[in-house]
Amino acid sequence: MICSPTLEIEELTAARNGTAVSTLRRLHVGPGQTALLVGPSGAGKTSTLLALAGLAQILGGRARLGDAELTALGPRDWDRFRARQLGFVFQDIHLVAGLSTLDNVLLGCFAGGLAGDRVRAEALLADLGLAEKARRPAERLSRGEAQRVAVARAMLNNPRLILADEPTASLDDQACETVFELLRGAARATGAALVIATHDSRLRARGDVVARVEPAR
Amino acid sequence: MMLLRLVLAFIGRRPLTWAFHVLTLAVGVAIVLSLLLVDRAVEARFARDLAGVDLVIGAKGSPLQLVLSAVFQMDAPTGNIPIAEAERFSRNPLVRSAIPLAMGDSYGGVRIVGATRDYLDLYGAAPEEGRLWARPMEAVIGADVARRQGLRLGQSFVGSHGFAPGGERHEQAPYVVVGVLKATGAVVDRLIITDLASVWAIHGHDADRDKHRADEPEHGDHEAEGHSSREVTALLIRYRSAMGAVVLPGQVRRTPDLQAAAPPIELARLFSLLGSGLDLLRGVGLVVVGLSGAGFFVGLIAAVSQRRRDLALLRALGASPRRLLSIVALEAALLGAAGGLMGILGARGLMALLSVASARGLSGPILTAPPPGGLEVMALALATGLAVIAAILPAWVASRADPAKELA
Repeated sequence: MICSPTLEIEELTAARNGTAVSTLRRLHVGPGQTALLVGPSGAGKTSTLLALAGLAQILGGRARLGDAELTALGPRDWDRFRARQLGFVFQDIHLVAGLSTLDNVLLGCFAGGLAGDRVRAEALLADLGLAEKARRPAERLSRGEAQRVAVARAMLNNPRLILADEPTASLDDQACETVFELLRGAARATGAALVIATHDSRLRARGDVVARVEPAR
Repeated sequence: MMLLRLVLAFIGRRPLTWAFHVLTLAVGVAIVLSLLLVDRAVEARFARDLAGVDLVIGAKGSPLQLVLSAVFQMDAPTGNIPIAEAERFSRNPLVRSAIPLAMGDSYGGVRIVGATRDYLDLYGAAPEEGRLWARPMEAVIGADVARRQGLRLGQSFVGSHGFAPGGERHEQAPYVVVGVLKATGAVVDRLIITDLASVWAIHGHDADRDKHRADEPEHGDHEAEGHSSREVTALLIRYRSAMGAVVLPGQVRRTPDLQAAAPPIELARLFSLLGSGLDLLRGVGLVVVGLSGAGFFVGLIAAVSQRRRDLALLRALGASPRRLLSIVALEAALLGAAGGLMGILGARGLMALLSVASARGLSGPILTAPPPGGLEVMALALATGLAVIAAILPAWVASRADPAKELA
């Protein structure tokens, strides 16, 4: 990828309801690289990810993705950023029940008001071994399958930054490996920076970069 | 169409709740709309029967009764007036046309009306079969009468006295059907119409028995003049100019035993009498509509809070607050439109039933629903608008979905 972004974070303080909850001292993630955010439960790993998505307040510090200064984005810029440049995989899976698996993948584009690329969505599902389930209602998928759909959704818009919050929690070893490889493969394929917040010891040695999130003082 | 699929998925999660709210809205819309449709149908029917008659002159009595009996053939006549008086007013320069009517007999519940041919022209009635009358005791029958009484061309029938069944039969003077009129949608469809002379002929025969005619005026003066049977029941007047309205009623009022009634005024009185009942029904309909609006509000608030996580997810995927707002607004609009459409269908169904019911009896006017149009558009807009208004606050709540709260 040309002009692939690098994520640079310095002294990022995330807040909830105006109160600082976590600090990330320093994190540099190159294109296609995988970073692990570690720290004890409650240290604010999720808040840090949410802050990087513009979904939690940033009280201080800097976060830069390529040329873009994330900390300077306004509310609308954040909406656009999430829609066009960010892929987010959540801890709880969050597929929308009542929609098909394929529609759940396309939801990523729909939310941002972008035209959904059905062909690409179907190709992504096929890559994840879900081609046959594309038209099935999302609520009928197993947890592992739903997790893969969420990954496909995060990849649909060719994000420059992929954030994943405990994506392997409550998965067995094999599923854990599959999901991790999917995410890392997606980041490598598109040159995106991948940040995984995890306390899963199985992933400990797998990141290119590891950074510790500390509770804010 | 992702938006539509998403909205339908959301609605599909609460099928019973929405079925109930949509049905409530439909009932409210149906009540309000069917009342408006009946109103229109009655008005159209009356306007058609009125056919531009400006004034009705007849014997003293209730002016409303005079109008109902002479124009709409719906009530008993107030009595008769001497032909001389009728002719005097017919020749008045302020009168463009005057149609004399002589009534009092019926056949199988159908009124026999003696009139001039102008009466048929008033409604554009022409024979479908046969011809118009040429001599006394020849009659033409309206389209509804032909259909329902089984009277045919060339058939003879005997009129009986009064409008209710069981009146004395005028056996000595049978009528013969010489023509069947085309359907006009007006009052002549359910009448038997004949020459004035026919009625007078029967009247002459019966003159001795006139004393017990319920629909005759108190005879007094006329009998003293020697059984003058040349009387008419009413005179339908159309003015030559607006001056007629100023002068003529006064002239009639100064004539003993005569009265003049202006149909528009009498109808307005009638409608104001009926109005309060209709207003009550309309009020009930509006209350139901209002309640269903409240139901929509409650339903939407509950739906939004139930799907907080879905909305938060959409927000995290890049949906702007406006997008979440539009999802709820579209959802409400769809449900409201569904309620509106169902209400329109319900009202139309009700009207169809009413038309059938009113066509079954010969006594009342047949009500036909006006063609679908403005009222339906209004009903649909009302239902959709109400639902969208009910969605304002829920949509706002939805737009403030906070991913940090739901997803963390």
